[in-house]
Amino acid sequence: MTEHVAPTRRLHTARWVAGGGLLVAAALVALLATRPPADFTEVQTPLVGQAAPHISATTVTGGSFDLAALRGRWVVVNFFASWCPPCQQEQPELIAFAYQHRRSTDAALVGVVFDDAASAARGFLRSSGATWPAVVDSGGQIALDYGVRGPPETFLVNPSGTVVAHLDGPVTSAGLDYWIGRERGVSA
Amino acid sequence: MSTPRSVTLYRLAWLGVVLVVGAALAIGGWRHGTAPSGAQRAAAIEAGLRCPSCDGVSVLDSSAATAVAIRQAVSARVRAGESDGQIDGFLTSRYGAGILLRPPVRGATAWVWVLPPAALLAGAAGIVVVLVRRPSRRPAVTDDDRALVAQALATRPPDAADGRW
Amino acid sequence: MNAALGHTGVLLGLAAAVTGVVVIAVGLARRRPQAHGGAVYAALALVGAVLATVAMERAFLTHDFSVAYVAANNSRSTPLLYTVTGMWSALAGSILLWGLILAGYIAAMVWRFRRHAADPLVAWATLVTLVVAAFFFGLMAGPADPFRTVAGPAPASGLGPNVLLQDNALVAFHPPVLYLGLVGFTIPFAFAVASLVTGRVGEGWQVATRRWTLVAWGFLTVGIVLGAWWSYQVLGWGGFWAWDPVENASLLPWLCATAYLHSVLVQERRGLLRVWNLSLVVATFSLTVLATFLTRSGVIQSVHAFSDSDIGPLLLGFFGAVVATGVGLIAWRGDRLRSPGGIDAAVSREGAFLLNNLLFVVFAFVVLLGTVFPLLYEAFRGQQVTVGAPYFDAMTLPIGLALLFLMAVGPALPWRKAAPRTLRTRLVIPAWAGALVVVACVAVGVRGVVPLAAFGLGAFAFAANVRQLVLAAHGAHRRGAGAWRGLVGRANGGMVVHLGVVVIAVALAAATSFGHRGEVTLHRGAAAVSDGHRIAFTGLAHVRTPARTATEALVFVDGRGPLRPAVSQFGSDSSAVGTPAIDSSWRDDVYLTIDALPTTASGAVTIGVTVQPLVSWLWAGGVLLVIGAALAAVPGRRRRPTDPASAPGPPGRTRPSRATRRRRARAAGRADPHHLSPDRDDERPSRRLAPSANADKQSEVHRREADVSVRAGSP
Repeated sequence: MTEHVAPTRRLHTARWVAGGGLLVAAALVALLATRPPADFTEVQTPLVGQAAPHISATTVTGGSFDLAALRGRWVVVNFFASWCPPCQQEQPELIAFAYQHRRSTDAALVGVVFDDAASAARGFLRSSGATWPAVVDSGGQIALDYGVRGPPETFLVNPSGTVVAHLDGPVTSAGLDYWIGRERGVSA
Repeated sequence: MSTPRSVTLYRLAWLGVVLVVGAALAIGGWRHGTAPSGAQRAAAIEAGLRCPSCDGVSVLDSSAATAVAIRQAVSARVRAGESDGQIDGFLTSRYGAGILLRPPVRGATAWVWVLPPAALLAGAAGIVVVLVRRPSRRPAVTDDDRALVAQALATRPPDAADGRW
Repeated sequence: MNAALGHTGVLLGLAAAVTGVVVIAVGLARRRPQAHGGAVYAALALVGAVLATVAMERAFLTHDFSVAYVAANNSRSTPLLYTVTGMWSALAGSILLWGLILAGYIAAMVWRFRRHAADPLVAWATLVTLVVAAFFFGLMAGPADPFRTVAGPAPASGLGPNVLLQDNALVAFHPPVLYLGLVGFTIPFAFAVASLVTGRVGEGWQVATRRWTLVAWGFLTVGIVLGAWWSYQVLGWGGFWAWDPVENASLLPWLCATAYLHSVLVQERRGLLRVWNLSLVVATFSLTVLATFLTRSGVIQSVHAFSDSDIGPLLLGFFGAVVATGVGLIAWRGDRLRSPGGIDAAVSREGAFLLNNLLFVVFAFVVLLGTVFPLLYEAFRGQQVTVGAPYFDAMTLPIGLALLFLMAVGPALPWRKAAPRTLRTRLVIPAWAGALVVVACVAVGVRGVVPLAAFGLGAFAFAANVRQLVLAAHGAHRRGAGAWRGLVGRANGGMVVHLGVVVIAVALAAATSFGHRGEVTLHRGAAAVSDGHRIAFTGLAHVRTPARTATEALVFVDGRGPLRPAVSQFGSDSSAVGTPAIDSSWRDDVYLTIDALPTTASGAVTIGVTVQPLVSWLWAGGVLLVIGAALAAVPGRRRRPTDPASAPGPPGRTRPSRATRRRRARAAGRADPHHLSPDRDDERPSRRLAPSANADKQSEVHRREADVSVRAGSP
């Protein structure tokens, strides 16, 4: 009869390779399974910690606006559009924030129109009762300067003119207050 | 079938292939040395940038507002004489490294460039090891085997070839 | 009523699958699998799936907006075609389609192997398929319920399908065909698991299910090509493959399946690579589950969107379970089941297949790494990085060129060992074909080393595969079987598939290297020349139907037309999308989009013009691929798949062999009448390598002996 091959060294190659593959797959699965859920998230872009890019443009109502004039106050720069549902969702929150800070004047809001007609933006602000200025972004260059991907995105600028947070998604009044309080605590 | 003359002919034929292809590639691959125009440079840069509000589309291909704005900025900077690296640097300073469609070769993203060639080499090494190792495990042939084979050959019908793979 | 009917169907399917699993498992544990196997439960699962599908389509056709899924994906103004296809436009409905196709495949499998139903291996395979079916029906019964009703009163009309899904009739073909491909890999996987569990690896079950893999592969290929064609026609930048995570997800199983279809030939011929082939089958099926996960969980677009959905974690868990099962079984059994014997020489057909597998696996690795890397990077460093088309193009280009070369050389290599003169004589004409094509391209004005290399290697591979077909046809004619026999059957169908791949590769090289994008701004009645084509704009047209409102530009390209690129709104959706128009010819495609509509009544329209050469060759190559796959599925006049390679074929009308005829002709003093010399090793085991001629028989004898011993040794 034929000789059977005497297994001199059992390398168990298949076992090792399979075990390695299993480890990689398990790591991948564990990684994917432990991601936190989406909410309005703080985005880490290079702009955070840098000076806020300058904004000097006309508003939707025809006036002029200059970001430097707001130095010394917290500024919430909000990129929005009338066609964007999360922007509609966050409008009441921004209204509430503006109302809370109307007396202390320590925080100001400014909107930047993102890929929308000025008239549409004007109508959107008026119908929601917003009183803060909104700037027309011709050619999308202000959005480019701030690294905006799509509305709504909000930037929190501290009184020294530095961007301290880049928030992606519809913000809440409480959230903004939290950020301001946190930054105040850090710098105090 | 393989007379010395035919061997020489085949060798000449193959040499001819190599020479012809080499010459053609040399001619075909030689660029005339003209620098790309501004528009071509801008297009090349835009092809390597990701449209920030789209899903994997390049700035060159997209019609979204952010892409249009970036195209404007890139064209202006190309006209102003900035280099490709400077323009890419400006956009990454605004959008982060995620705006580049080609992951940077330096830094932590180097893994994505290094791992595939490493996998190819590892696989090739594995195959080489398998090929080199195998012959030593071949079992010895006994007389019983030879008898079995002789019997099988003897009982095999003469023209069993029918074009199997 | 539709919802109730649908729920009944889903629950019936789920109950049938679970009961089938339990019954078969009990039968296996008691070592008494029933003679009828899982047939009843497979049939019931199919009935349940069909019932649920009928209920869903009925809900769509009657615009039953009490079903939430219908309200989200259909409206009263949606045309009939898109109403029918609405069933698979979103998550829950596509799971229903998956369940239907899976139930169909299981029923077909049970019917095909009904005579072996009492065999434990077939019972295990049926068990595995029913477990998979139970998972998908379970998804439908709970988290991804397609028949969930709207809370409150039914709305008067729905939202209608996604705008991009209303534009083109291909939505009726691409998802079902793609699913026919992806789901089809469940069957080979089930048999692979069954082989591993029962330890019966050497019997040819894998070979018997090879045709299932080929059918699934064929459908998947068509699905991918249709997807590329669809994106080309609908999305506005003339691109057909963007290395998008969803596209990559469907490419990954295709790559593993292609590697498998090649290496299983080595197993059939030489009995080698058994465990490797099993691993490939497990990998292919795991990747189809990963494809569903990547597409449906949104995890690539945003890591955080994943945990917002219910279904993401479940799919991920199933993927983990599949991989764990497959890998665990291979770890447990793999070493005991390794085949004896080995590969004798690197330069041989076995060596070419090994290299082929290496290249395909590295290709799949590149695609998987590039797709998953942004996720990993964001998870570990919190920052975003993009791995886009330039990365994939750069990485896969050398692999593609190497595969083209291998496609030319591989079929000309003999088994076991190749002498250099073999390749030298067989490939000299195809090599000259490649060289002449390169020269012709350079003469015509093509510049660039990479496209020239691609064209040259493509011509080389094309000529080499045509050579194989010609020889096979000649050999078949000589045997008296009819020359057409040289075109059908596994090997020859494979050659036609290679021809299709070459055509696609050449088209890709041409379209991506020499595509050019331009823009023309034209007033009404004006014309301009862009990239050698005359573009004439004759006016605007406004279209208003219930389904679509659009502003079209009437454009003539080189006098042909009118082509109608447009800006369209579909149904009640207010967002406008650009709808392109394409003028195709064999030389190039002129792809027109409206970049800017005129702002005034007599203003100029800006038309984007993208000219890409040889794009129509992509679709022609796809057709060749499908034809080749169909040809390869034709059974040859040969032994059963489970017989060893040296068994005689079925008797037939045969002429005497070439050696016999030559001997007789020489004896009668005549010259050899035939000049064409089919490669001898394709007809019978090679006799040139005299010392090892017996070794071929020996290894086959060893293989059978080893199989017997393994079978005897398995529990």
